[in-house]
Order: sequence, then structure tokens, then C-alpha cells
Amino acid sequence: MVTPSGCSGDDPVRSLSLRGSGASEADAAGLLGRSPAMIPGKYRSVSGRAASNVNCGLHLVIQTSSLPEKNKVEFKLSKETPSFPGRLLQHDLERNYSSRQGDGRVISPSPRNKSSCVSSTTNGTEPCGLEMKTTTSSLPAFGDSSIQTPSKSRIRQGCHSAGPNVSGDHINLVSSSMPSFPILQRSSEEKILYSDRLTLERQKLTVCPVIDGEEHLRLLNFQHNFITRIQNISNLQRLIFLDLYDNQIEEISGLSTLRSLRVLLLGKNRIKKISNLENLKNLDVLDLHGNQITRIENVNHLCDLRVLNLARNLLSHVDNLNGLDSLTELNLRHNQITFVRDVDNLPCLQRLFLSFNNISTFESVCCLADSASLSDITFDGNPIAQESWYKHTVLQNMMQLRQLDMKRVTEEERRMASVVAKKEEEKKRESQKQSLLKEKKRLTINNVARRWDLQQHRISNIAADQDGRDSDSPSQDPCQNDGSTVSAFQEETGSLDSGLTSALQGLSVTDTHLVEVDGDTLSLYGSGALECLDRNWSVQTAGMVTTVSFTFIEFDEIVQVLPKLKMKFPNSLHLKFKETNLVMLQQFNALAQLRRVHQLTVDPQGNPVVNFILWKYYVLFRLSHFSMQKINGTEVTQNDMIMAERLFGILAHVASSELPPYHLISVLGDARKKQFRCLLETKGKKPGTVSEENDDSKRPAGENTNRAALHYTARDLYHEKLEEIKEKKKFCKMYIEDLVKEATEINMKNEALQKLWPQMFIELVRDAVIEVRNKSSYMKLCLRHITDQK
Amino acid sequence: MLSPERLALPDYEYLAQRHVLTYMEDAVCQLLENKEDISQYGIARFFTEYFNSVCQGTHILFREFSFIQATPHNRASFLRAFWRCFRTVGKNGDLLTMREYHCLLQLLCPDFPLELTQKAARIVLMDDAMDCLMSFSDFLFAFQIQFYYSEFLESVAAIYQDLLSGKNPNTVIVPTSSSGQHRQRPTLGEASVLEGVEASLFYQCLENLCDRHKYSCPPPALVKEVLSNVQRLTFYGFLVALSKHHGINQALGALPDKGDLMHDPAMDEALERLVVRSRLHRTSRQHRAKEPGAFGFQRREKLEALEREPSASAPTPYSYWW
Repeated sequence: MVTPSGCSGDDPVRSLSLRGSGASEADAAGLLGRSPAMIPGKYRSVSGRAASNVNCGLHLVIQTSSLPEKNKVEFKLSKETPSFPGRLLQHDLERNYSSRQGDGRVISPSPRNKSSCVSSTTNGTEPCGLEMKTTTSSLPAFGDSSIQTPSKSRIRQGCHSAGPNVSGDHINLVSSSMPSFPILQRSSEEKILYSDRLTLERQKLTVCPVIDGEEHLRLLNFQHNFITRIQNISNLQRLIFLDLYDNQIEEISGLSTLRSLRVLLLGKNRIKKISNLENLKNLDVLDLHGNQITRIENVNHLCDLRVLNLARNLLSHVDNLNGLDSLTELNLRHNQITFVRDVDNLPCLQRLFLSFNNISTFESVCCLADSASLSDITFDGNPIAQESWYKHTVLQNMMQLRQLDMKRVTEEERRMASVVAKKEEEKKRESQKQSLLKEKKRLTINNVARRWDLQQHRISNIAADQDGRDSDSPSQDPCQNDGSTVSAFQEETGSLDSGLTSALQGLSVTDTHLVEVDGDTLSLYGSGALECLDRNWSVQTAGMVTTVSFTFIEFDEIVQVLPKLKMKFPNSLHLKFKETNLVMLQQFNALAQLRRVHQLTVDPQGNPVVNFILWKYYVLFRLSHFSMQKINGTEVTQNDMIMAERLFGILAHVASSELPPYHLISVLGDARKKQFRCLLETKGKKPGTVSEENDDSKRPAGENTNRAALHYTARDLYHEKLEEIKEKKKFCKMYIEDLVKEATEINMKNEALQKLWPQMFIELVRDAVIEVRNKSSYMKLCLRHITDQK
Repeated sequence: MLSPERLALPDYEYLAQRHVLTYMEDAVCQLLENKEDISQYGIARFFTEYFNSVCQGTHILFREFSFIQATPHNRASFLRAFWRCFRTVGKNGDLLTMREYHCLLQLLCPDFPLELTQKAARIVLMDDAMDCLMSFSDFLFAFQIQFYYSEFLESVAAIYQDLLSGKNPNTVIVPTSSSGQHRQRPTLGEASVLEGVEASLFYQCLENLCDRHKYSCPPPALVKEVLSNVQRLTFYGFLVALSKHHGINQALGALPDKGDLMHDPAMDEALERLVVRSRLHRTSRQHRAKEPGAFGFQRREKLEALEREPSASAPTPYSYWW
């Protein structure tokens, strides 16, 4: 039989009590005595899935016909209570009833049983029959109630007292002698028959009547009245079931003596706060749905509580649940809950209903994943349920789940969830790998930076006097380096995220240096990284790289690999230098040998040269053949170029036109020598035309030759060269010395000769004159000579 | 060539004293360095060019420091080259730090020692605040004194120290290389009363030094002039006075007067042409083929500039030391 009622799906208890009151008291009593085994979860879950829609009206299927036969079940009120029934949700009810059929053990306490088990029944009975004298006539309401509970007939058949109205006029509510409270009396007959229960439903009661002589009462029903305060029942110390559904109670009170109370139904009242439950240690079911409760409190002592219904309240979050060790069902539908905590402290919780709340992330309910007992959960009507990841995330995190949103979790779904989860796991692992790599990279860079620092210190110590540039740097550099490293790393992470895969491919990490290709950027950290230029780069990579960044590498070392760089990365257009010890303007000369440089970035970190006002102009001047577009991120303008020319043009002019040709040769690189030989030859012949030739040969070459003389030799090499020169000089010195000595000696002899010569000449002449003075004798002499010869 | 002094010395010593040997050695050294190239266009040609460039003072461009400082002529040539090349920097009005000047020096001489630049800067900045900015002319004249007379100044520093400490410097004059010593200052009490040394005494010592000094030193008459203006003076005061002295600059002959320091019309003209060309060069990259005339015109101009140039440098007494 189906009983539609106006209750919404959140009022399971109400529906139960309704049934209990209207349809079968036996059921209600059965609820009291039913052992949990009788409504095993599996039955429940099997049945009524289709009907389980929470929002639809209440469907009650009441199977009373079979009840009489099942009377054997004892109505136990003993301390076995832990096994008290837990299922009070409306849909569950439905299942209960259908399943009851199946298991056939549903208890409906027979009068006999009652009397036997509940020995107290007779004790406090009032001799008189139950009489209810209502001060106000409530009869019109009966019609309503009968509509709502069409099973009335059966109730009557079961001759239960439930409707105070229904079963006739046995009950009288007497305006008692006490000033304000009506006094309730029943006929002794009634008392005997239903000694343990009393139903005062729809009596328009505004206060609780004084119930005398009914100390044995176990079940008391005040549904649908206007009671504002719980009172006058403190003497009913055996009360087990108290139903105050649909009243106007504002505060939980007057219950402190009801130590046996197991079921307390306070749905649809005006309660704002959970309180005054301290003595109700045996409470098994607590229904507080449809109130104005804003937080869960004062329930931690209810260790026997199995069912807690807080649906349709004003809860904003869930916590403070510890101590509820027996709680198996928690209904929190239709609140404003944004997060859930503490649920993992509920060892027995099986069903949790969180539908229609404000949960938007899984993190806010993640404690659910730690609950081992949870098998049934609902999230529908929450923002979270709209998410694409909702189902598999929930399933993945709560493997123990049997039902989600009232639907059985199938194997297929579980598999799906695990597949998705596996994927996520992989992703996570991947990202872990990423971060590992990142970390490794960071460490490497740090390491490189440290080495660099050490090296700098050493160099500065060695070269402090020779090259005082480091006099201030040792003190500053370390911290600066740290900062720069960190920031560099952050930059890197940004780019890594964008181009994950490509970055990974190009990443090769070793301890002392780091080479990384990220998109179009080749980053080199540490001098060891320069070796990578010897590697065989794929044409694609080489073609792609347009930016080369050097960090923690001595510029002089970079200079030596520039030719390689030129060959391997023909496109490299943007050069970045950071911590490369650029200290002199002339070092920029070295860059002129590259093929193309569009952009130059020199970080002030570890490059003191950038502090010079003139450095940009010098770069523009020296590398003017590249037509550079940007320097340190700033666009190069025509004015900059002119300025550069104005500042350094004369230097170039002097270098080209005034440098003696023999020196020009030695200054120029081998590659250019050939080109200049012809030039020099012409120059040798016709000095006047030199400049013209110069200009001619200048244009085809990319680089202005007048700048070529401005070249840079790495310091080490330069020192080597100087050593060489020294050797040569030594030789030249000796050679020249010898020559000069020889020459001066010759000169001396020559001078001596010059000095002697006039005298000698005179002597010779005199001798000759003397000889020819006597002509005849001279002639004779001559003749004799001639004859002698013959 | 046939000066009377020549007869006073043996030939070899004479050649050495006049640094002829230095140039001969260097010429041979250069020849060795580039023998393949030079042999192609003639050794005689090479020697001609070499000694021509020595005469013109262009032989020191981009040479090693040891050569640049080897002779007074080289030093003067270097000073002049430095002035000519970087006059534009001064003209632009930029104030630079010592390190920047050092970089400029290194553009001309890659192994120019920082120490010398530092000392020159010390003259400008009076021994403190080494990171201050200096004007081009201040630096240049201070640098001239420091570079050209560097050995002399070291001896002077030693003398000054001796005078300060009360020794009689006339007995011991040992030009030491311990240039750092002159940074020692008299104790504070002394300094507050009398700073520096007495000018006349100082002059006597310097005169003495000039007589015996084998390196070049400023003309004693001019030193006397510098010192006669004051009663007492400090070492740096003396150097500053030297660097600012008009006559010494003239006697040295490498640089123009301070007033004309920014004035070098021939070079300016050449530069103007370079600037124009670079501008054209930039634009011509886009339409090179269109403007054949522009280049022809320019080439001629440039030629003219070069022809005119020797006349601009002619007044410089390059043959002064010969």
C-alpha cells in the first residue's frame, strides 16, 4: 500500500512516525525492538533503487497484513540496543518494508509479548480508561489525518490507540486542576491494551499535557501539534520513543530525566542549537531535520547514536563529530555545507548524505577518503557533482564505496575511475619527474654558481694587483650570485612549463655545467658547457636556436669557441651574457667575428662593463656591421648609431688610415690577411690612393675593415703572445747589438782611415815627386826596368 | 745627425741613448713577426714604412705596453693618439670613471696596466674617492704627467717622503718602485700645523734629481716656476700643479693647450664624413643599387680628407727627440 504524503524526502523519521502512528503501531514498536539483523543492508540496497529518488514524495509501503503472524519476535528493550535499527530515510524505509517481507522476521510486538517482556506494563496503568478531554475541539483535523494516513483502518484493526481521535473517544484531555496544563487520562482498558504507548497526534496542543499514571509509557507521540516547549514528561522515565515532529519547539529541554530514550524525533521545529542531550546516553536515533541549527555540537557523548538527521538546517560545515562511535547514517542534505571534516573519526559510518549543499572541491571533503566504513554517499546537487572529474575522483579516492548518489557503483565505473586515476598518477609522476629535473637543474646551477664564485675569488686574489677590477667585487658577488641564480631559475621554470617536452629533450645535466635547449634558446652554464659546441647538433636544433645564453663562463673562454658557435648555429642572433666577467670594452671586439648578431643582452650581474656609460655605444660602433636591433632589450635607434660613430669613429679612422701597414697585417686575423695583401701592395706603390682602395675592399666584406684592427685577444693568449714577443725581442736585441757593434767598429776604422788618409796621401805624393825630380836618372832607371823585364 | 753631442759619446752608447737601438730592434722584431707578408712587398719598403710611422707617431697604435713606454717619443705618441681618438668622448661632455678611462686606454693598448690609470686618477681626485667621475681634460693632463714622467714622479715621491720624515734627501736618492709609500701621511697633529713640505727645499732636491736623472723629467725652469708660487705644498698638490701647468704641456709637445683640447678640425671633418657614411651605409643596405653616385662622391671626399690630414698633424714636433 502506498501512502503519499506531503513530506519531502528529507523527512524519513517523520514518515516513519507517521506510519507508526497512523498505520501500524506495531511497526513503530517494531522499530523499537527490531534488531539490525532484520534489515540487513544488502536487502535495503537491492530494493527500491528506482524509488529511491530523494525528492519525490513519501512513498510508504506498509505491509501490515503479515504482521499478526510475526508476533513471536520479542519486544526487547534490553541493553542490546546497540543493534537498534538505523535506517530511517524514507527510501530506506521503503526498502525496509519490502525487505521485511523477504526476511520475514519483522517484529511486531504482540500484546502478549509486550506484557511478558515489558513487565512494567501493568505497573503504572491508570485504572480509568484513556480519556482525552480536549479543551479545543480538534475534530476537523481528524479528517486531514485520515487522508494522510489512509491505513487508518488497519490501525483500528490493530486497535491501536494511536490517533487520539481515531479510536473513538476513549481519551480525554482533561483540563487539569493545575493551572495551565491539561491532564491526560486514559481508560484503564486502553491502558491495559496499550500500556506502553500513547499517541497525541494532531491535538492542537500548545503545551505538553501532564501525563499521570503512565510511568510505564515507552512510546509517546506528539506529532503535528503546536508545542513550544518540552515539559511535563520528565516522569516518563521509561520512555524510549519520543516523537515531537512538527511542533514549534525552540529549544531542546526537559529531557534530562529520560535516560532510556532511544529515539528522539524533533523534526520540523524551530530549534537553533543542539543542546541538553547530556543525559540521553542511550540515544539511538536523533532526528533534527528541518530546524535552524547552524553547527554540530554537544553530540560527542552520544556513543550509541546510529542515526543522525540534520537535513534542512543551516549548517555551513561539518566537524566536531568525534565520539559518535556508532553512527552509521548521517543525513546532511539541504544545508549550506562547504566542507566536511572529522568524518574519518566515525568508525561505523556507512551512509552519508550530502546532497544539495555547497561542496565544490574534493579537497573540502577529502577526509571521506579516509573513512573505511563508508559505503553509500550522495553528492548530487553540489557544485562538485557538475565537474567532469567528479565521479572518477570520488570513486578513485573511496574504493570502499558501494553506492554513489543512490546508484550502485559498477565494476565498469570502478575500472574507469582507476584508469583515469592511473593516468593522473602517470601525470603526477611525470610532473614529479619534471620537478626532479628542475630541482636537479637548480642544484646544478647552484653548483656552477658556487664554483664560479670560488673561481672569481681566486682570480681576484691573484689578479688583484695586476688587474684591480675585483677589489670590490669579492664582497658583493656571492650574494648577488645567489639572487641571480634564483631568479634565473624562476625564469627557467616558467619557460619549462610552456615547452615541457622540448625542454626535456635538450636537457643534459652534469655536476659542473649545464646545457639546455629550450625552444630557440641554448643556455650554457659553467665553462664545461662550452664543450657542447663540439657535439653534433641536429640540423633542426641548430636551425632553431636563435638565442644563446652564457652564464657563469669566463668571457675569454667564450671567445675561443665563437668560431665554433658561428659554424654550429648559423642563426644565432641573440647573445646573452650573465656572470661572464666582461670587464673591458675591447672584449666586445671578439664578437665581431660572428656572422650575425641582432640582439645583445649583457646582464650587469658579473659583467662590470655594463656600468660604463659608453659600453652600448662602443658595441654599436664595433659591431655596426651587424645592424643590431636591440641591446639589453632596448631598441637601437638611428641616433644611437650616429652617436656611436661620433664617439668612436675617429678611433676607427685612426686605426685604419694611420696604422702602419706592417702592423695592420699582424693585427688582422689570418682570414683577412689575404684580402689585404693586394691592398698593401697598392698602398706601397701609391700611398695617395690607399683610402680609396680601402673603401673599395671595405664594402664587400661584412665588417668594416677600419674596425678590424680593433680586435680582442683573450688575456691568456695575449700574455702568451707577449711572451713570444719577448723571446723575439731578446733575439733582436742581440742581433742588433752585434750589428751595431760591427757597424760602429767599421765606422771607427773608417774614421781612423779618414784621419790617416790625407797624411798618407801627402807622403805618397812627396815620394813620387822625389822620385821624378832627377829626370835623366829616372829615365835610365825606367829603361833598365824595361830591359830587365825582357 | 751630426750634432756635436754625438762626438762626446761612443757611437753605440749614443745610439742607445737616443733610442735608435730600440727602434731598430723593434723594426727587426716586427719584420720577424710578419716575415711572410713583408717579404712579399719588400723589406726596404717595410723599413721605410716603419720609420715613417715612428716619425708620425702612429707606430704605437695597438702595441704592447712594454713598447709604448719604452721611449719618451713613444709615450708622447701614445698620449697624442689617445687624445685624438677619444677627444670626441670628452667633447660629448661625458664624465667617466677611472675604470672607463682605463678601458679606453686598453682599446689602444690591450695590456695597459691599471696601476698607471689609478695613479693618474689619484692626481685628479687628490688621492680619494676613486670612483668619482672625471672630465676628459682633467684626466688627460693628469695622465700625461703620470705617464710621461712616471719614473721621475716615483723619485719625487721618494724625495717627498724623505722630506716629510725629516731626512736629508740630498744624500739618499734612490728611485724605488715602492710607489705605494707616498700614500703615507704625516700624523694628524703635524698635518694640522704644516701640511706638505717647504717648496724651496723641495725644489733644490728636484733640481738635483733632474740633473742626475736618466729618464725624462720636466724642464727644471718650469718646475721652479711651479714651486715658486707657493710656500709649502703636498705631493699631490705638486702633481696637480704640474698637470695644469701650461708650459710643461708645451714642453712635452704631445697635447694641444687646454683651450684647444677639443679642437681638431681635420679629425672632425673626417669624423663628419664617417658619420654621414655610416648613415648612408645604413640606408644603403636597403637600396644599395640605387645610389651609385653617393658612394663615388663620398669616396672622393674621404680622399680629400686624408690628403689634408698630414698637414694637420704637421705642426706637432715629432722630430723633436731626434
